[in-house]
Formats: sequence, structure tokens, C-alpha cells
Amino acid sequence: MPPSADVVLSAAGIARRFAYRPVLTDVALTLRRGEVLLLVGPNGAGKTTLLRVLSGLLHPSAGHVNRPGAIGMVAHEAMLYPALTARENLRFFARLHGVDGRARVDELLEQVGLASRADDRVGTFSRGMLQRVAIARALLHEPALLLFDEPLSGLDATASRTLVELLQTFRERGTAMIIVSHEMERLGRVATHMARLAAGRLGPVESLAGRNAAAVFADLMRGDL
Amino acid sequence: MRALVRAAWHIALKDIAIEWRTKTAFASGLVFAVLVLAVLFFSRDPTAVSSQDIAPGALWVTFTFAAMLGLNRAFLLEREMRALDGILLTPVPKAAIFWGKFGANLVFVGTIEAISLPLFVLFYDVPIWIQLGELVLVIAMATIAFVAVGTLLSAMAVRTRYAELMLPLLLLPFLVPPLVGGVQLTARLLEGRPLSDLGGWLRLIGAFDVAFVTLAALLFPVVLDE
Repeated sequence: MPPSADVVLSAAGIARRFAYRPVLTDVALTLRRGEVLLLVGPNGAGKTTLLRVLSGLLHPSAGHVNRPGAIGMVAHEAMLYPALTARENLRFFARLHGVDGRARVDELLEQVGLASRADDRVGTFSRGMLQRVAIARALLHEPALLLFDEPLSGLDATASRTLVELLQTFRERGTAMIIVSHEMERLGRVATHMARLAAGRLGPVESLAGRNAAAVFADLMRGDL
Repeated sequence: MRALVRAAWHIALKDIAIEWRTKTAFASGLVFAVLVLAVLFFSRDPTAVSSQDIAPGALWVTFTFAAMLGLNRAFLLEREMRALDGILLTPVPKAAIFWGKFGANLVFVGTIEAISLPLFVLFYDVPIWIQLGELVLVIAMATIAFVAVGTLLSAMAVRTRYAELMLPLLLLPFLVPPLVGGVQLTARLLEGRPLSDLGGWLRLIGAFDVAFVTLAALLFPVVLDE
């Protein structure tokens, strides 16, 4: 694929082994501004490992990842300190990002609907609230690409709906996203592309433009495409 | 360089703020220190061994194991919600994480030592006031060495399943040189010998300070890589 100013992530030939056990094999992926890739695949396919490699948390055993812009990540764990309040957590990470913290943190807490709980310790938060603080943490430095690992897992219906609405807002702003999830019904509305990772190999990236996301998902899960 | 110092400062402040709020490591470290000082004091036969004879050993056993509780916690708090990944996702150099943790650990261990020292005087009736400055210097030098290597090894141990068990196993062999130096220097200072007579031991601890801090700072980024 030709290089473009819109490209927020390009990866080629990515492989990752753990103690000689291959988890990812020859993964190639390019993502542009505004694109939202829903990554599906069976358990143990290497989806979380791929996100960690793309984020830079994990070095690939082979291949290269190019990240022209900043990346934010929301994983299974919130990556926060339970003994600190939501505001303190965000201010700490804002400082490490070199962001002028105070106003940005208040703005994000408002955006994720946690302004009223800003001074409560995150150790007392529900899973849904933790997820929202984690999203605020990932947004502090206004990343061009957001990575989500099972963002709806463990959330109730209301929290899921709030999160999906947030993701739609990010998409409308042009933030590229990779979302690992099987919640096709709710996240299919946010995604612009879908791909299947199985046994560490990434299948073709399917555009959802003008197509029924559920049908594409069903086909991908059958491995028919 | 300024960015590294600033990031290390924020990381250290965060660790100190968490410990100030929870006081988990501090409370357990302090209780442990009092317990060890008391047990060693009452375990001796006062007609055969004077309290001054076992004082240097008791002091350093107390400092070492109380400090280990704090060193263990330094990275356990990063593991709880994988907060360390959050730091690694920022543009902060990994070396800043080491210096931040090292600084916070020094504050933690230094506080435990500062509180334990008067208790040590109380139990063992040793004349530390005559050469207090010299004794503080010796304690500071030995502490720097074992906190540096402890910070590195706790980052390694926290990735294992039995982190609390692994740290002492990994750390204790490295503690032998600075601890022996600390005990020897403390014993001589308590005998009233001037620091100028103890250049050999001081140089030994100084060398371990330089070696351990340098090696720990260099190896730390490698340890953080998965």
C-alpha cells in the first residue's frame, strides 16, 4: 500500500514468539485516519499480543511497526493506580505525556462522564467506571490511534451503550481505532473494517462500507472470505 | 536530560503519595523493624554477650529485611492494574522509571531507618551520638547500594508468579558486600574509632555504590522489555 499522510499505523512481516512458540506470523496491517478496524478471532489467536506489539509494549520477534502518530491503549486492565483518585491518576499520566494537565484532565473527566467522581479513588470504581477512566488516560495526549482490547467485556448494558457512543464520537473526530472484540452487534456500528486473526495469522481486512457487518462477521468466523 | 529528571521526579512523587496514603509497606516495615530489634535484644544471654556486641548486626539485619518489604512493594503496586504498562505507553525513557523508583525507595528505606535508629539506641544503649554524622554517612552509603540493586531485582521479581519470595532469593547474595561493610564500619564507629581509620571499608562500600547504581541503571531498561 502506498505511503500516505493519513496513515496512522503500518506494520509489515510482524512475528512474535514466546519461548519458540509462534503467536503471530507474518502480520501486515495499515490503518488510516478515521478507520476503525474490528479485529475478531478465536481465543488464543494472538489478538492481545498483536495489540501489545502494535502499541510498542511488546517487541516483535520479526517485522516492523511504524507509528507516525501517538497511540493510546485501553486493555483488559485499566493501567491505573487504585490508591489514587481518577483526577490524580490522569494528572500523573498527563505529566508523563508532557501534557498541560489540569484543564485537559477536567475536560476528559467531563467527556467520559466522571467529573462528579473525579476525586474518588479508582480502587472503589466499578468495571465500567474504570474503563472510562482508562479511556480518558488513553486520550490525554490526543492520540491518532486508539487500541482497545475487549472494551465491552464485563460492562452492563448501560455502561456498554455509553462506551459505544464514546467510540462513535472518536470515529467522527477522525481517530483511528483497532478494537479487539466479539461484540459484533454493538461494535459493528462503530467499525469501518473487519478482519479475523486465527492461529497468529491475519486474514484480509474487509471494508464494511455498504455491507452488512453481521454478514461479514459471520463469513469471517466461518473463514469463508 | 531535563525530561528524564522531570519524569523520574513525577514517578517518585507518585510512589511516595501512594505509600503516604496506604502506609502498607511503611507500617509493615516499621513493625518488622521493632520486632527484630526486640527479638534479637531479648534472645541474648546478658551475662555472656553485651548488647553492644550484637548491636551492629542487629541494626543491619533490621534495616535489610525492613527495606525488603518496601522494595517488594515498589513494583507490586505497578502490577495491580498493570499501571506500569500505562507508563510504558508514554514517551518517558525507561531509565526515568528506574531513577523515579530508586528515589522513592531511598525515601522509603531512609524513613524506616530514621525511625529505627532511635529505637536501636533505646534497646541496645549504644553511644551513637558521639559519631552520629559518620554513622549516618555509613548507613546512607550501604543503603544506596542495596536499594539500587533491590530496585532492579524487584522489577525482575514482580514478573514472576512468586514475586514476594523471589526478591529475597535474588537480592540477598548481592547484599552481602555492602552489608558486611556496613556491619564492620558500624562496629568500629560504635567502638569510638574515627572514620579516618576506616578508609578501606568506606572505599569498598563506595565502590559497590558506584557499581550497583551504574549496573542497575543500565540493566533496568532491558529488564522492562518483555
